[in-house]
Amino acid sequence: MAEEKKFYLTEEGLERIRKEYESLKELRLAKTRRESPEILYSEDLNPEYLAFREDINFLGSKIIEFENIIKNAELIRPPKKEKQNIIDLGATVLVEINGEIDEFRLVGTLEADPSNRKISNESPIGQALLGKRVGETVVIKTPIVNHACKITKIKYNNIGKL
Amino acid sequence: MRGIKKFKIDTKELSQKEKVLFKKLISAAELIAPLYLKQKNNKHPGANFYPYDATKEEIERAARKNPAILSSYTFVERDKAGKLIAIPYHLKFKKELKPISEFLEEAADLSEDKNFSLYLRSRAKSLLDDNYEKSEIIWLKTKPFKFSFIIGPIERYLDRLFFKKCAYQSWVGFLDEKKTKEAEKIKNAILTGRRKILSGSEKAEISKLGIQVDRTAIFSGLIADFMFTGTNLPNDVKLMEKYGSKLTIFESSLESKFKGDHLPIFKAVFDKKFQKSYSEEDLYKGSLRCILLHEISHSLIRYRDAEERLKDLFPVFDELYAYILGIKNCGILFLKGVMNQKELEAILIMHICRNFTWWLDSIKNPDVKHYAIGAVIAQNFFLKEGAMREKGGISWPNFTKLFICINELSRLLEYYLAVGSYEEAKEFIGEYSSFNVFKRFSPQLTKISKLK
Repeated sequence: MAEEKKFYLTEEGLERIRKEYESLKELRLAKTRRESPEILYSEDLNPEYLAFREDINFLGSKIIEFENIIKNAELIRPPKKEKQNIIDLGATVLVEINGEIDEFRLVGTLEADPSNRKISNESPIGQALLGKRVGETVVIKTPIVNHACKITKIKYNNIGKL
Repeated sequence: MRGIKKFKIDTKELSQKEKVLFKKLISAAELIAPLYLKQKNNKHPGANFYPYDATKEEIERAARKNPAILSSYTFVERDKAGKLIAIPYHLKFKKELKPISEFLEEAADLSEDKNFSLYLRSRAKSLLDDNYEKSEIIWLKTKPFKFSFIIGPIERYLDRLFFKKCAYQSWVGFLDEKKTKEAEKIKNAILTGRRKILSGSEKAEISKLGIQVDRTAIFSGLIADFMFTGTNLPNDVKLMEKYGSKLTIFESSLESKFKGDHLPIFKAVFDKKFQKSYSEEDLYKGSLRCILLHEISHSLIRYRDAEERLKDLFPVFDELYAYILGIKNCGILFLKGVMNQKELEAILIMHICRNFTWWLDSIKNPDVKHYAIGAVIAQNFFLKEGAMREKGGISWPNFTKLFICINELSRLLEYYLAVGSYEEAKEFIGEYSSFNVFKRFSPQLTKISKLK
């Protein structure tokens, strides 16, 4: 059986997902209670009923999606002290790449936000940097862009926060 | 109407009062075009800013005694004795500027946004005394207004002799909040990195960079002639350093350029099989990002001494490097997962199509020649390095090689802008500026109206 996909999240991120999940469930319940039985049990495919069903289906699929995330969530935790010189999820890295100095944090895809220096572990740079140490130069190869990336600093701060 | 380009935009979201205000701004913009037309003359490198018989040396000599000669806001004329004298724009156009200034005052009375009123009143005054700094500072220090409005002598491209004199222009539009937010994200993702700077260069640090995407209703003056799809202001590097800069993307103009130029060029110069891999939507997004990245880059490549050092060659390097650095930065965005490979390819394709567009534009309007020279340098560079295969005028880009070229070209352009001398820059242009690289595509381009 194929292994289920893991979702790497910070504590804060997981908490946010849980809250969203709960509010979606409440919304579905409220919506179901609010709707009149005439529309619910109508045999005619009236537009109001179709819209209602569409909303319920959408909420249902979102709830399943969130359940799957919560079930397969793996919290990002700081590595042991002796392993803090190796890049893992949650690490903030300082790199030199293609003539630029850049600093960002490696996060799971759900929390990625490059405009706020949070880069996905599944991005080409994220994949290339995981497991590497300070001083190493990694060559990131893609079908179009190939860049050498030198790691100059690794730190693990506020790892549970988004 | 000459010197004016109008775009259809939906104004139904405006209140009645706002509609009146909007009309006042459009009326002011319309009156700017005749002033621009009096400045424009592409038969002379100095346009109508200097006497046609005055040599560069004579003007420079006169400017040493009277700096107003090379002020951005004066015409240079001869007095009865034949001596060069400077006539300020606000005196030369006193009669024409008065009603424009009045429209701005009336619009200010109608506005419920105090900052916008303040800006309009200050700008109304600037037009009458040529002191634009105060109104520019207000514009730079405030958040984007609901109405996007610029008026005055701004761009220096008409002055191919000294790149000093500002030509009149105006635009009026609305802020597109949704697209502005998207553009903001790309800008922030780019600005996380710090570029290493060449030692000995006088790099200007731009304190902040505002961004807005506009639904433009009217272009008047130079901007209507050049049909910009984006801009980054102010041009004064000192103001930029102190108050930051603001970039504007013009959706209406971009849509028009994309449909009229970029897309037809794509269909004309690229292999038919290759074309099938990209939808019109992919390419439009590529074109939008191309100009967005270009304008962001303008704020990253300012050197305090570059204009004085490179003189009339400055705009060639400034514009070309903004395109090249923008694309180079895309590489990092791609590695960070901000965009996928297809999106990156679309940006590169649209850059090539834009190069062709500048060449075609320059055939009819020599004032855009510095853009065309920049475009031809890039195109020759790509071809020489094998980044584009060409057989019978049909090209098939090698994206990996294109990126290597972009990096190499970026390194060279950084050098010229940061520390290069005028002579070195001139030699570089000489090496890569043969327009044959475009002309050989002429048979494929005959369907495009500009070549007819």
